[in-house]
Amino acid sequence: MQTAHTVEHGHEVIHGHEEHHHEETFLTKYIFSQDHKMISKQFLITGIFWGVVGGLLSVLFRLQLGWPNETFPFLETFLGKWAEGGKISNEFYYALVTMHGTILVFFVLTGGLSGTFANLLIPYQIGARDMASPFMNMLSYWFFLSASVVMLFSFFIQTGPASGGWTAYPPLNGMRNTSVNLGSGLGFDLWILGMTLFIVSSLLGGLNYVATVLNMRTKGMSMMKMPLTMWALMFTAVIGILSFPALLAGCVLLEFDRLLDTSFYLNNIIINGQLLGYKGGSPILFQHLFWFLGHPEVYIIIIPAMGIVSEVLAVHSRKPIFGYKAMVLSILAILILSFIVWAHHMFVTGLNPNLGAVFTLFTLLIAIPSAIKVFNWIGTLWKGKIRLSAAGLFGIGFVSMFITGGLTGIILGNSALDIQLHDTMFVVAHFHIVMGVAAFFGMFAGVYHWFPRLYGRFMNETLGQIHFYVTLVGAYAIFFPMHFMTGLPRRYYTYANFETFNNFNHLAAFISIAAIVVFLGQLIFVVNFFYSIFKGRKVVGEKAADGYEYANPWGATSMEWTAPVERLHGNWPGDIPEIHRWPYDYATKGREFIPQTEPLKPGEVEHE
Amino acid sequence: MVAFLSFVVIVLLFAVLVLVARANELSQVLNTGKFEFRGQSRLNGYLLLGFLVLMFAGSAYAFKELAPVMIPKAASLHGVKTDQLFNITMMIIGVAFVLTQVAVFYFAYRYNESRVDSAYFYPHNNTLEVVWTVIPAVVLTGLIAMGMYEWMKIFNVEARDKNMLVVEATAKQFNWIVRYPGKDGKLGKRVIDTAHVTPTNELGINWEDANSHDDFMADKIYLVKDRPVLMKLGAQDVLHSFYLPHFRVKMDCVPGLPTEFYFTPTMTTKDMQEYLSTQPWWQTINPETGEPRWKTFKYELACAELCGKSHYGMQREVVVVTQKEYDEWLNTQTAIYESMKPKVEEPKAEVTEEKTEIKVEAMVINK
Repeated sequence: MQTAHTVEHGHEVIHGHEEHHHEETFLTKYIFSQDHKMISKQFLITGIFWGVVGGLLSVLFRLQLGWPNETFPFLETFLGKWAEGGKISNEFYYALVTMHGTILVFFVLTGGLSGTFANLLIPYQIGARDMASPFMNMLSYWFFLSASVVMLFSFFIQTGPASGGWTAYPPLNGMRNTSVNLGSGLGFDLWILGMTLFIVSSLLGGLNYVATVLNMRTKGMSMMKMPLTMWALMFTAVIGILSFPALLAGCVLLEFDRLLDTSFYLNNIIINGQLLGYKGGSPILFQHLFWFLGHPEVYIIIIPAMGIVSEVLAVHSRKPIFGYKAMVLSILAILILSFIVWAHHMFVTGLNPNLGAVFTLFTLLIAIPSAIKVFNWIGTLWKGKIRLSAAGLFGIGFVSMFITGGLTGIILGNSALDIQLHDTMFVVAHFHIVMGVAAFFGMFAGVYHWFPRLYGRFMNETLGQIHFYVTLVGAYAIFFPMHFMTGLPRRYYTYANFETFNNFNHLAAFISIAAIVVFLGQLIFVVNFFYSIFKGRKVVGEKAADGYEYANPWGATSMEWTAPVERLHGNWPGDIPEIHRWPYDYATKGREFIPQTEPLKPGEVEHE
Repeated sequence: MVAFLSFVVIVLLFAVLVLVARANELSQVLNTGKFEFRGQSRLNGYLLLGFLVLMFAGSAYAFKELAPVMIPKAASLHGVKTDQLFNITMMIIGVAFVLTQVAVFYFAYRYNESRVDSAYFYPHNNTLEVVWTVIPAVVLTGLIAMGMYEWMKIFNVEARDKNMLVVEATAKQFNWIVRYPGKDGKLGKRVIDTAHVTPTNELGINWEDANSHDDFMADKIYLVKDRPVLMKLGAQDVLHSFYLPHFRVKMDCVPGLPTEFYFTPTMTTKDMQEYLSTQPWWQTINPETGEPRWKTFKYELACAELCGKSHYGMQREVVVVTQKEYDEWLNTQTAIYESMKPKVEEPKAEVTEEKTEIKVEAMVINK
């Protein structure tokens, strides 16, 4: 029980010295923990912190975009020189958009999402006592936290955080000593340091996830008996392992250009009529390195959400996931294709047009496995017995968002159409829905669903459902009308200099209001989360002969619910259960569900 | 004070919300002895159905209100084609959007636990999987083919018109340097080394190349209706992007790497104003100018790649005129060389041989 732990750790803080022989001290249990469940909580809570920060940054720049002619005196109170006279400065505006992107893409939707659910679910759902290397797992969190500290620190230096865009393109970010450039100060060096630490964290975690899934499955748990979450999290880790090193290389060379005056990305730079000494580099090279991670990165974000939603929808529909094999194969197809589509971010950057045509082909091909997944989720809902709890609702919301955002990808992936749409608000609308909001929906579905596993309590359902509707309606209100801003360049501080773009001021204000409402709506979740840790409705289970309480609150087949409600080190008090069936035996053989651990009856035919 | 009070109000609202939600759950557990979802599922089923209606109504309303305000129809040859492809794609994904969203929310309502007794065990169907793999694949193949065809046409170097206009745009923080070739139609060569690039000659124009002598800088970009133009693009300091929204033209300007974009404007600024004067939204009065919106319409050039803190300010006006008007405008321009003459250190004697060099340099442009 959580309360019991709290009392216990208070006790241990006071008597820390006398009890240092004790197996678990406060320090090893809560801080330098090697237990996958605790590391999962650490990732989740750090992720929530970053989610609030990243969301708050977007509220700040939405104030500027929604009301470009107004002043907000309270901003000066909080931000000082960054908002003199209550108006966010253009420099700080670009810092806000840059850090908003960096934080949400990497620290929330990569670290927070994969870190939380891979750590929590992999050992529980494949039947392992912990990760392959708990120590590496701990390091993974601590590198993540150091990356977080460095990024957070960069907000408080005099020249401000990185402000040259989350894509960090040189030459804007490739030179340190030129006064005209922005985003090239110490803030960006810290950005690179932070990203480097983050990549280390991601690689340590990813190697661990893959090693664990491949090697530590319990008896009977063949690959094709794994829940889809496992496939998703493993494939995600594979993508990360193969693509993050490219970004690391790119960032290290970028820092060389900045600090050592090398010319990996710089050529013939002329400032104020003076030719600088950089010779022979190519800014396009960085874009290749960046997007070689950058595009797989969006699949690193969305595939775990897909896995979570597949599991949550099946459990809450009380029905097997439709087309299990097709689901596995389609993630595999996405994994492979995700490595050969990166240059669709570069159609009009000076890339050879013939390459553009090739990348259009692969990019639109990736829509096929995505479509298969959508149809399979819809097939899962059909003729189910759907429990519309907060988790189920977020699962359904995910499918809706993924459809809406995915469809506009068919437009953007087509190079001929991308000429006009590249770097415009249409792109902003597209990727926010498909990999921002949708991934958040997947994450929320997972948190509401597995909160009982994490804390032995439920999150408050009423608050959860209010949170769902505010987010669903609000996110559509923000991003649906944004599609009509087709052709308006993104990353504009104001459109007032252009007659062409200056006709959407009412819409911009509407979007800003919706963004503020959605942000406040997320605070409902934050309050619910922390409140429920301590005061949530307890999971009520049955006491078994071994003295532990067992519960399966959602009636799920997967084996994380065969462990006691209490989170034991090593997960199961006795032997690890064996697996006898596939993970989606719902509504079959006259029963609502049959746990994976239940042996086949004599003469019973296994599914497939 | 107001900010502080609204903060307090929001905090209190949150507190009330939490307490009510908590009480709601507790009372249910107290009354029934356990937590039941069935009632909530019923309510949520209706709410999801309501959301589906709201979403379609909202989409229709957004379309009605916002579509007229969007950037008007394309004013270039290829732009008309890509707009067509955009509309075709939009219709296809519109149909997919409606069908799938209806399925998601209707099934969530229809098959929620308050409306059905048991779920139906239906783990897979290979025929269905094949059907919904093949249909998207066929549709996408069509879209890919059409897109590639247009794309390759836009960038087909062989098909370029010899009579095209050549204009050079070089971006820097935070402005555009627009250079016209003058009457000879040929831009003077540039040399990027410290001898040529100086504060008075940012572009590094080689004055020894006689083609440069009638080159001039323009404040506004003048283009000729129905005459193809090749924009030769470059950047001095950081990445920029040459973006002409009305012509569906966008190409990055990269320091040290020349890029280009070839297109044909099809409507003069006046043509576009006339067209817009027939559109209801463009007939409304712009409160800032007090005139109908179409009257002040102009084509614009923007930067579309984050280039620094004043990225949003890199505006230039683009004017499309007839060939006759263009020739008149050309006559009013002064060559850079004229103002540079005293500063050019070694004026070469060949300056007078300008006309003979033109033919030799013709290759450079078509490179």
